[in-house]
Amino acid sequence: MSKENNITRRKAVGWFMRGSIGVLIAAVVAKISGRSASARLVWQIDPRKCIQCGKCETACVLQQSAVKCVHAIEMCGYCKLCFGYFKPDAPRLDEAAENQICPVGALKRKFIEPPYFEYSVDEKLCTGCGLCVKGCTNFGNGSLYLQVRHNLCVHCNSCRIAEVCPSNAFELVPENKCYLLKEKLPREVS
Amino acid sequence: MQKKIFYCNWRRWLCTAVSATALPAAASSRFPKPQFETDYVPPAVSMPAPEFVAGPLLDLLILFGALCVAVLLVRRIRSRRWILLFGLICLMWFGFVRKGCFCPVGAIQNVAVAAFHGGGVPYAIALFFALPLIFALFYGRVFCSVVCPLGALQEFFIVKPLRVPRAIDAVLRIVPLIVLCLGVVCVVNGAGFIICRTDPFIGIFRQTGALPMLLAGMGVLLIGTVVARPYCRYFCPYGVLLEFCSIVTWKPVQIAEGECVNCRLCVGMCPVDAIEAPRPEPSDRMRGRQFQRFINLLLLLPLVVMAGAAAGYFSGGAVARLHPVVKMVEHWRSVPEKDHDLYPEIEFFKRRGHTLTVAEEQAAVVVNNFRKGCMWSGIFIGAVLGVRMLMLSRLAGLKFHQAGRTRCVACGRCFSVCPSKAKG
Repeated sequence: MSKENNITRRKAVGWFMRGSIGVLIAAVVAKISGRSASARLVWQIDPRKCIQCGKCETACVLQQSAVKCVHAIEMCGYCKLCFGYFKPDAPRLDEAAENQICPVGALKRKFIEPPYFEYSVDEKLCTGCGLCVKGCTNFGNGSLYLQVRHNLCVHCNSCRIAEVCPSNAFELVPENKCYLLKEKLPREVS
Repeated sequence: MQKKIFYCNWRRWLCTAVSATALPAAASSRFPKPQFETDYVPPAVSMPAPEFVAGPLLDLLILFGALCVAVLLVRRIRSRRWILLFGLICLMWFGFVRKGCFCPVGAIQNVAVAAFHGGGVPYAIALFFALPLIFALFYGRVFCSVVCPLGALQEFFIVKPLRVPRAIDAVLRIVPLIVLCLGVVCVVNGAGFIICRTDPFIGIFRQTGALPMLLAGMGVLLIGTVVARPYCRYFCPYGVLLEFCSIVTWKPVQIAEGECVNCRLCVGMCPVDAIEAPRPEPSDRMRGRQFQRFINLLLLLPLVVMAGAAAGYFSGGAVARLHPVVKMVEHWRSVPEKDHDLYPEIEFFKRRGHTLTVAEEQAAVVVNNFRKGCMWSGIFIGAVLGVRMLMLSRLAGLKFHQAGRTRCVACGRCFSVCPSKAKG
């Protein structure tokens, strides 16, 4: 009799413990699950905050960073002398490698009509170092800027680049508005 | 015309501008967009959308389904072969297809941030965190057995598991507690996701990554050939939570289908030393001694907790160096002024008009927060260790071999060697 009692008491204690831990977990989940999952959040760079420190190239968990240079062609001045394309001390202003800022030759230029050139980024080559972005932002129209390319990004829970970004330019944006297009952003950071 | 003048002087202008570290203000209108005479049309720039393997709801349903199948395999089918096969499927899906992110282990941090700072997490992450724990409440660590890709991967690398001596095991089992606390303290104070960063296998799942990460992953797998599941047992922070839940589990893993004959075959087979050997019902003398031991350990408990708190408080300063601001201040002090442009964080901080004193003030606040967090962590770790010690004075006898509730990861090896099968 006493043994039977003992077993049931044990069972009751067990159910009490399970119940209380279960309620605890449920309470935590209920308290924290605020955001709807209809739009997943992904990482993106706010180009207005980016200071082109070059960490995007090296900090990404992928061997080839998911951050690439993109070109807001609407904003481009089609300059013959492009500050994103040529080194400050370029010997000549032509397409030779020693004149280019881009270490991998990912920034291409194409003659349109005098004196205008069209610039485009070869994404396969681009390493996301931001050297061209720096030139273009500081001295040009700022039409070149860095963005996380979402076909390459593996959507880490916590972006490794965001953790080391000195200017906190990384933010989580909804999946359906996953690019912060510079030509469409207001000028000042809100 | 203007452009031409500019062209002549551009090098000098560039130099002055660089030295002044011009802010990228009011760009975009320096060179107006040209009016083309030819019928040039600018090319469209493609902006590829993110690709997810499965939507959040499907992701959750698959996790739930996998846990249910795991329970079915462990409790009804009880076949090592099927468990292994299902492990392979889960490894493929959760590991290589889903690329391992996000997972319940890392979700600890999202939950911690939301719990301390609000803001909420998507319900998918919250439930990813909660589901395995709830299953652990009912059926033990079935998540670890095959559903967790980290566990499943290590499962395939167990070749000749050696027994870890009990003293070493007891010491190593403190590590997951520390990792859990460190992960929470760091993420709550804004020092990044330590638990994700120390995941050794994520590089293998992505099939790309930094070399140290890949080497670490392979190293852990190599150790895993002789020490079964080293990550699960001696590192995994989520394992700590699963252990807590599985202490009170409703239906723990049963080794024998029929009646145990105490043949000890399962003890030799268990790779994670989870099998509890039978112990006699204590005599009255033993009972007294154990009670005395219990009292001694209970008196020791506050001491352990206090020691943990002190250790936590004093390690807080060192841990705080994981925080970017504290690291920046350190660099600021140690690096000569002329090399500051090598550190973009210092440059950026200066550019906003802040001085070293401001940075130091911020760092002091951070260090203080870390001290507090680490002290609470120390109290938590001390309490857990104290309770683990109290368990040494357990009284109840045990007639048959049984799988320890907290350590058993339901790999199913003991099912295949157990000679006691149910009749029919």
